[in-house]
Parts: sequence; C-alpha cells; structure tokens
Amino acid sequence: MDNNRQGAKASYVALVFFLGLWMILPSAVRRFNREAFAEFQAPALHLVGKGRDLARYWELKSRSPEELTAAARDLARINAALELKIHSLDDARKENLRLREMLRYPKTEEFVTVVARVSIRETSSWWQRIIIRKGRSDGVRPGCPVVFGDRVIGRVSIVHLTTSEVDLVTSPVFRCTAFLEGDEQYHVVHVSGQAGLALSAPRALVSIIPLDYSPPAGQVAKVMTTGLGGVFPSGLTLGTLETGVQSTAEKHLQTGALTPAKELSFIQEVSVLIPKYPTAGEILLTPADSAKPEEFR
Amino acid sequence: MSLSWSWLFLLLATFPWLLGVDLLSDAMATSGVCLFISGAAIIAPCRRLRRWQAVLFSACVGFLFESLRPIPDGSLALLLVLVAIYLTSHRAEIRDMPKMFGAAVLVNGLACTAWFIAAGLAHMKEVPLLSLHFLGQWLLHLLLATILAVLLLVPLTLVQNFAMDKVGVPQPDEVL
Repeated sequence: MDNNRQGAKASYVALVFFLGLWMILPSAVRRFNREAFAEFQAPALHLVGKGRDLARYWELKSRSPEELTAAARDLARINAALELKIHSLDDARKENLRLREMLRYPKTEEFVTVVARVSIRETSSWWQRIIIRKGRSDGVRPGCPVVFGDRVIGRVSIVHLTTSEVDLVTSPVFRCTAFLEGDEQYHVVHVSGQAGLALSAPRALVSIIPLDYSPPAGQVAKVMTTGLGGVFPSGLTLGTLETGVQSTAEKHLQTGALTPAKELSFIQEVSVLIPKYPTAGEILLTPADSAKPEEFR
Repeated sequence: MSLSWSWLFLLLATFPWLLGVDLLSDAMATSGVCLFISGAAIIAPCRRLRRWQAVLFSACVGFLFESLRPIPDGSLALLLVLVAIYLTSHRAEIRDMPKMFGAAVLVNGLACTAWFIAAGLAHMKEVPLLSLHFLGQWLLHLLLATILAVLLLVPLTLVQNFAMDKVGVPQPDEVL
C-alpha cells in the first residue's frame, strides 16, 4: 500500500511537471495533438455520414413508382424553366463582362464550389458548428465561406485531411458585415453569432443598425452580405431581421435578432466556396519568402 | 495482445460509446445542449488498469472530446488524468457498483463543469461567468451529464469489462 501511495505522489508530481510543460510548449505541438485526435475520429465520422446517406437511399427506394414518376415530371419542368433562366443570365453575364472591360473594373473574387455532406452537428451554449466530409485533400481552406444555394451557412474554421469544421452563422465566433433590405443608403451593419440559451433556437445579433432605418412595410427584411470583408461574395442571404429592433443604451443605434436563412440544425448538404486565388487575409498570413508574386492579383 | 497495449484496446472498445453520445447530441442539435459521458467512461478502467495505463486512457478520452470542439487544449484531458491518478490510488472507493455510480456522477459532473467553464472563458465579454444565463446553462449541462452517467454506466462498464477480460487485464481484487 505504501508503494501505491508513493507511486500516486510521484504521479501527481509528474502531472504538475507535465502541466507546466504543456503550458510552455509551442502551440504547434498542441495543434498537432488536436489534429491527431481529430484524424483518429475522422473515419468514424465518415461512416456515420455514409450511414445516413444509405438510410436516405433506402427510404427513397421504398417510394412507389408513381411517386417517383411524379417527382421526375416535376423536376423536368423545373429543369426546363431553369434552362431558360440560364440563357437570360448568360446574356447578362456577357454584357456585364463587356461593361467591366470598358470601365477597367477590377475582377470580382472567383470561387470553386465543393459540395460536402454534413457528418455531424455540434451545438452547445458556446459553439454552433457542423463537421463536413470534405477537407484539405479536397482543397478546402480555413476561412472559406459555406453556403446552401444563396444562403450563408457559416465559415470553415478548422480543416483536417478529409473533414472540416464549420462555424455556423449563429456561432459566437462568427462575424460578418451586411446590408439590410430596404435601406436605400446601404449602411453597413454587423452580424455576429451569440452564445445561445439551451433549449431555444440559436440566433445571431444584427448590430449598428442606423436609428432612421425601418424595414420594408409588410415583410421581413433580408440581411445580405456586403462582400466587403473579402470572405463572402456580396448579395448572399444571411437571414432575416426579426421584428422588435431595439435601440442601444446610448440611443444612437439599433440592434436586432437575426433568424438564419436556413434551418441550420437539419442541414444535410452544403457548398464550400473556395477562392480561386489566395484572399487578402491568406496573403497577409503567408511568410514573405514563400509568397508567389503571381498570386497577388 | 500484449497487456501493455490493453489501454488502447479498451479505448477502441469505448470509442463507439463516445461517438454514440455525440450522435445523440447531434439528434438534439436544435436544443443547443452538448451531451457528455467521457468522465463516466474512465471509472471502470481505473478499477483494473495499472496507473500509467489508466492515465493514458483518460488522457486519450479527454483529447478525443476536445479535438472537435473549441475547448482550450488539455483542460478536460488533464483533469481526467488527475482523476485517474486519484482513482487508481484509491481503488477501494470504486470497488462496488453503488460506489461506482457515485464516482461516475461525480467525475462526469466535474469534467462537464471543467469543459463548460473552459469553453465559456472565451466568451466572458458577452456572457459574464456569474450571470444567470451562464449558471442556467451550466446547471442544465451538469444535470444532463449526471443523468447520462447514471443511465450509461452499467452498459458501458459491461462492454469495458468484457474488453478487459479479453485482453487479460487482472480482476479488481487482484489489482488491490
């Protein structure tokens, strides 16, 4: 028993020593440790995601042929309507390009879209995030915007080899600038996630709304990205501004709650927008000697 | 399998349970609560594994939880290591099932509090630690952690004991 006690004392001393070492270790070591444990879990997360896909597949397979025929007919109609729309958009795109060339207007950010399935959702008071089944090997980079259609879902925060962690719009670490629908002066407002109350729907906060702003009559105001931060393309929908906007304590601005554009807790698939060229933030973080001049566009 | 690798074998046997609880949290994503079982998962191994094996096992369980969540590095893992050292040097306190239940509730609640506060420290500007909001959230997470520890301890212990029997880990009486 004495040996056991002595062994315990030695273990406590070793733990204190390790704790001290852990605190002074370079962050790269801690990052490596985190990465190693995340990679250990990655195959299981893939398996979970694929299991869900399989369950969905069998659910769809159990549908009756009549139902499938009706769905195919509806899709054909939608496709026909979309083809017409593509033609009209193509004309607009060509005209837009021509005008940009005439004005020597700088090129807008170009993105490659990577579609990713959601593996698992992680929510708590302090974080709202999803883990997607696409990672570094698919070209995903930290900071990439994540969308569903034209609706913003969040931003990639950490990238692993085959999975990535995405902070949702409602996550407390999420920050973005936005325009409000109906604001003719295009004031820039600030959207940030909030530490959420459990057992209630997560929300984000829209702040620095000008006092003279009033939402369009009879409808909820959309909150749209500005494109100013260099992360999100402009014009994407972040959500809608809830009614009941309140003025701040200083009475010179207003704040309101944002309802996300998409039901974030049930989302199954997202698109990651990967910038074709390094963003300003990435260039700033790149060491000067390894930066390639041709990337500075 | 060599006895010295039994902690790793045990970790592989425990991992599906940790993942299962994560999936349960996923299913309850709209409610915004994070279910937690890592604290209770170290109780049965601490009865039978050697101290260094229990320490490695506990550290890995803690790091697995931390790796996919924005929790300060090591805050949970090192606490679980501390608990593992204590439990392996006071094995009599987890000798029978009622004592194990008590230990599971206590350790899971303590570990849940540790990660909750550690994660909340990053948001102190928005939510002060001594606010009703924070206390309410913490109590809810604590309640769920203790309930889950009580509900899952028996099946989890059965699986872990089965795994330890298979790799030839000595029975608790032999370790004492």
